[in-house]
Amino acid sequence: MFSTLRELARLMHGARLHYSLAIVSLVVASCFLYLAPLVPQAVLDVVLAQDGAEPSAVSRGVAQLMGGPEFVARRLWLPALLLVALTVVAGAFTYVRERLAEVATERIVLQLRDRLLDRLQRLPTPFHDDAESGDLVQRCTSDVDTVRLFLGGQVVEFGRTAAMLFVPLPLMLAVDTRMTLASVVLVPAIIGFSLFFFGRVHRAYLRSDESEATLTANVQENISGIRVVRAFARQAFERSRFGRNNDDYRDADYRVYVVAGWFWGVSDFMCFAQQAAVLVTGIVFLAQGTLSVGALFFFVTAVSMFTFPMRQLGRIVSDFGKATVALERIRRILDTEPEQEPANPEVFPDAGGVSFDDVTFAYGDADPVLRNVSFDVPAGATLAIVGPPGSGKSTIVALLLRMYEANAGTISIGGTDITSVTRRDLRQRVGVVHQEAFLFSKPLLDNLKMGRPGATVTEVHDATGVACVHEAIEEFEHGYATKVGERGVTLSGGQRQRVAIARTLLEQPEVLVLDDALSAVDTRTEAGILGGLREQHQQTTTIVIAHRLSTLAIADQVVVLDGGRVVQHGSPDELSQVAGPYARIVQRQSGWTEAGREEMTS
Amino acid sequence: MSERFDEDDDRYSGSLDWTLWRRMVARARPYRSAVGQMVFAGLFVAAIDAVIPALTGLLVDEALEGAVNDAIWFYAGAYVLSFVLIGAAIVWFIMLAGRIATGVARDLRRDAFAQMQELSFSFFDRRPVGWLVSRLMGDVSKVAGLMPWFFLDVVWGGSVVVMSIAMMLWLDAALAAWVLCIVPALAWVSVIFQRRLLASSREVRRTNSRITSAYAESIAGVRTTRALHREDASLQEFQLESSAMYQHSVRRALQSALYLPLVVAIGSVGVGLALWQGGVRVGDDLSLGTLVAFMQYARLFYEPIRELAGRFSELQSAQAAAERIATLLDTEPEIRDSPEVLAAIQRATPDDGRALDGGDAQIESVHFDGVSFSYVDNEPVLRDVDFTVRAGQTVALVGPTGGGKSTIVSLLARFYDPGGGAVRLNGVDHRQRSLHWLQSNLGVVLQSPHLFSGTIAENIRYGRLDATDAEVQAAASRVGAHAMIEAMAAGYATAVGEGGGKLSTGQRQLISLARAVLADPQIFIMDEATSSLDTETEAQVQAGIDAALEGRIAFVIAHRLSTIRNADQILVIVGGRIVERGTHDELLAAGGHYAELHTQSNAAGTVGAAVREAHPA
Repeated sequence: MFSTLRELARLMHGARLHYSLAIVSLVVASCFLYLAPLVPQAVLDVVLAQDGAEPSAVSRGVAQLMGGPEFVARRLWLPALLLVALTVVAGAFTYVRERLAEVATERIVLQLRDRLLDRLQRLPTPFHDDAESGDLVQRCTSDVDTVRLFLGGQVVEFGRTAAMLFVPLPLMLAVDTRMTLASVVLVPAIIGFSLFFFGRVHRAYLRSDESEATLTANVQENISGIRVVRAFARQAFERSRFGRNNDDYRDADYRVYVVAGWFWGVSDFMCFAQQAAVLVTGIVFLAQGTLSVGALFFFVTAVSMFTFPMRQLGRIVSDFGKATVALERIRRILDTEPEQEPANPEVFPDAGGVSFDDVTFAYGDADPVLRNVSFDVPAGATLAIVGPPGSGKSTIVALLLRMYEANAGTISIGGTDITSVTRRDLRQRVGVVHQEAFLFSKPLLDNLKMGRPGATVTEVHDATGVACVHEAIEEFEHGYATKVGERGVTLSGGQRQRVAIARTLLEQPEVLVLDDALSAVDTRTEAGILGGLREQHQQTTTIVIAHRLSTLAIADQVVVLDGGRVVQHGSPDELSQVAGPYARIVQRQSGWTEAGREEMTS
Repeated sequence: MSERFDEDDDRYSGSLDWTLWRRMVARARPYRSAVGQMVFAGLFVAAIDAVIPALTGLLVDEALEGAVNDAIWFYAGAYVLSFVLIGAAIVWFIMLAGRIATGVARDLRRDAFAQMQELSFSFFDRRPVGWLVSRLMGDVSKVAGLMPWFFLDVVWGGSVVVMSIAMMLWLDAALAAWVLCIVPALAWVSVIFQRRLLASSREVRRTNSRITSAYAESIAGVRTTRALHREDASLQEFQLESSAMYQHSVRRALQSALYLPLVVAIGSVGVGLALWQGGVRVGDDLSLGTLVAFMQYARLFYEPIRELAGRFSELQSAQAAAERIATLLDTEPEIRDSPEVLAAIQRATPDDGRALDGGDAQIESVHFDGVSFSYVDNEPVLRDVDFTVRAGQTVALVGPTGGGKSTIVSLLARFYDPGGGAVRLNGVDHRQRSLHWLQSNLGVVLQSPHLFSGTIAENIRYGRLDATDAEVQAAASRVGAHAMIEAMAAGYATAVGEGGGKLSTGQRQLISLARAVLADPQIFIMDEATSSLDTETEAQVQAGIDAALEGRIAFVIAHRLSTIRNADQILVIVGGRIVERGTHDELLAAGGHYAELHTQSNAAGTVGAAVREAHPA
């Protein structure tokens, strides 16, 4: 809680002057707003009243300022004009307050948004594994908005409520002490009630937010998995699940209305009761002749000016509560340590092979996914990795990019430990094409150029040529300017994979990793791509995760993984000579003979 | 089709579409008693609001008589009573508003969601998931949340204005005329500012939705961003959006900062006019109490005008949301049961061994009868595809990417309907069979299998909701996934993460295969369903499915020829046509496309060596 307050203070630090000036403007504006009713009061008391009580000193003073009762009586447009003028000045200061506070707030929020995006991109991979993307987006958008509303509105509003209450006190005391007492008699009760009740409103809000999030996740999943829903004809099941969540959200949301209804109803009653207290007391004094009509009018107006803002205290406190919750959620992102870089990074030698030396790794506390994995890929050579699902193939890629840190063992490129260089340097040298290629919603050309922003058209075409996707792109109506939809929906899986390969090739990596990146490509195209790679990127050290023999056989060496261990390691030719998993792959995929089949099923 | 779905396309329409809003208001019909009560509560509060200043005036005049008499206590009592009533009415109408807003939102969501379950894939193909989610959540909340307050403010605000004016006219018509001078100015300023606020709020919303998708994309693509080490570049791109957001937000804030003080200032002109014109007449034909009442009315009646102006512009800004909801609800599912099929379902008697639509329960044959299809006009994807598969047979589809293999299975599953020809089950066009029956007899496994967040067991059970744990495990064993699942720390209770993201593609493929096997379908469709499995695991899967499919029909799409070699029928699809058909041996003997593919694959080892020699490292 206190650290959240400190964070709030830190956010506002650079804008302290803005906020202070905003509060000052607001106090000035409130003063003028209070001065305004003094004018009609003076007119009613001093100028118009034929009998009744002796007008208050304030009334006499105000009347005197306007030029004396006689003077004003003949020029009643004068107090009217003064009233308007005072209101306009108050309005001008209100505007200044809004302007200062809003500009300061938007500036803070601008920085907050940028910081969040930056941090998200640099957070360690395990953070992203555990986070739900919808939830992260919500933290960056609606939680930021909650903080924004609090900073822009309530920080200054708090100043206003205090000013509205304390500014008129001396004025009121100057007019009439007894009436002042009557004016504030219910104030502690109103404030106490607001504070107490808004706590409950706040809790109801949280409940409703949670069930809204559940419902949103439900819809999101249903739509992303719509093909599965249809394929199993599960519409009725989906409707009833959604129906339950939908009703839950309605009930939670309704609860907010109920609690808020009681809050506004009761607090309105209390505010009105405060006004009535003033009016009735005033009437009694008026009848006794100890209070002027003008003074009564002044008190009635003043009370209506501060009771209703007072009620806002509850809202301010609740918004403050919401803002702290939101800020805590935001801080989960901001306070997570980003990936650390070595203090004195080494620089990679210009070329080099990849070597894994006795590497062991586990995700969190789970069982190790890789156990004592060792292999050496000389510079310019090709390594193929094969193995059943869950055997740790993709984990090797993730470790090589330092998306995770190995628990034991060393990974080095060209003899340099990858933990002793910056990740940027590392990732510049290692180009990876993932199993499920992610394209950004930009034109294809921009997607490709992400590999190398300064690439020329020829270079781009060379890369798409090697990836065998140039012709497919040219066939699109807009060619290279074709915009890729959300997650690249307009492209087929194979096309996406090939665009991603071209993008990585543009990076001109020294180490190229294809993580099952050709699975959606037909055999002939695959052969074309591999041939092209071989021809044009001879210096590139290549690691390929694949299942097709046509890919495996092209490698200089093959590593067969099972259960996180290297179970076979050697050149394809060597491995096909010895009985074992690799030979079985060869048999299944090329020499599918009855004899081979018997050997495998036995 | 220039429709864009990637950003908030809510546009400014100058005028309100009353037909649309009448339709939306009609959604409140189930809650009409709440609406009625709320209108009553609103009128009631307005009446009390309008009476209070008059009561004050009477009190002042009584008091000026000089003595605390019974009348004063009567009025004071009336005061307190009004406050109690106002407080009670407020509690009442906020609850009613809640009933209406949350109820209408619930109903709209329910109907829109049900609609989405029926809409064709062509609808989803063109709309991003995020876009659809914000229609169902954001748009619905916006429209439904506005509704009760609009009713209330029109009733309450309208009556306060009317009653205040009536009271003033009744008290003193001449003075009322002076106070009402400000109405045109108030209306003019409100219209001008609301229009600007509307425009700038639209800019803010647009930028905001761009910012939201920027976050979503940077989170979804975080691994790619890192692999391409372009964190700085993407931050710079984002800063363009966030600075735009800053500018639009400040502009909107300043506009509304100017609007409120302006209204208050104009309002004070009304009070000033009452003071001036009324003050002159005090002592002649106007009592001091009436003047006090007048000045209060002058303060009272401009507030609702401001509120109403605000409500109308909210209505305008919600119009686009309402239109999108209406469009969603109006979209006809292109594929659904025809009236004849629905009638057949009505007629069918349960438990007679027939399907729910009275047709054959067992699928003996699938016949693609001269089927053609195109996603976009004049760009045919399939041309005159004709083949027959019988129960117990496996048909394999082979050919280059983009040849139309996946489209064939999509048509079989009735994800789309053919443009020409027909898909016949036991000789009957499958458009004349129940969609639900057809789809519940399919087991479909796609290349990028989608899992729902939840446990592995829950995902497998999606295939058959009443399956026992033992049956779930049996299905997993059948496809060779059992050992892999058991090896995980939490076994079958392992959470798969959003969309199955915590598992590798190969693991997801295994689980979705188990899910399909559990469904015990009559037709099994595997579209590159084993592409991320190693050969060994794939062979296990194949054996398991073969056993499960005894006597049923299977469609298999694969690039690895070992997967399809044993198919009863192999179709080579190129450019939307079947260019070769036959068994493995027949096609090899024919020496066409398939033989060529086979040579590549068969001699992969040697080809690999050849590639290495041709392009030495």
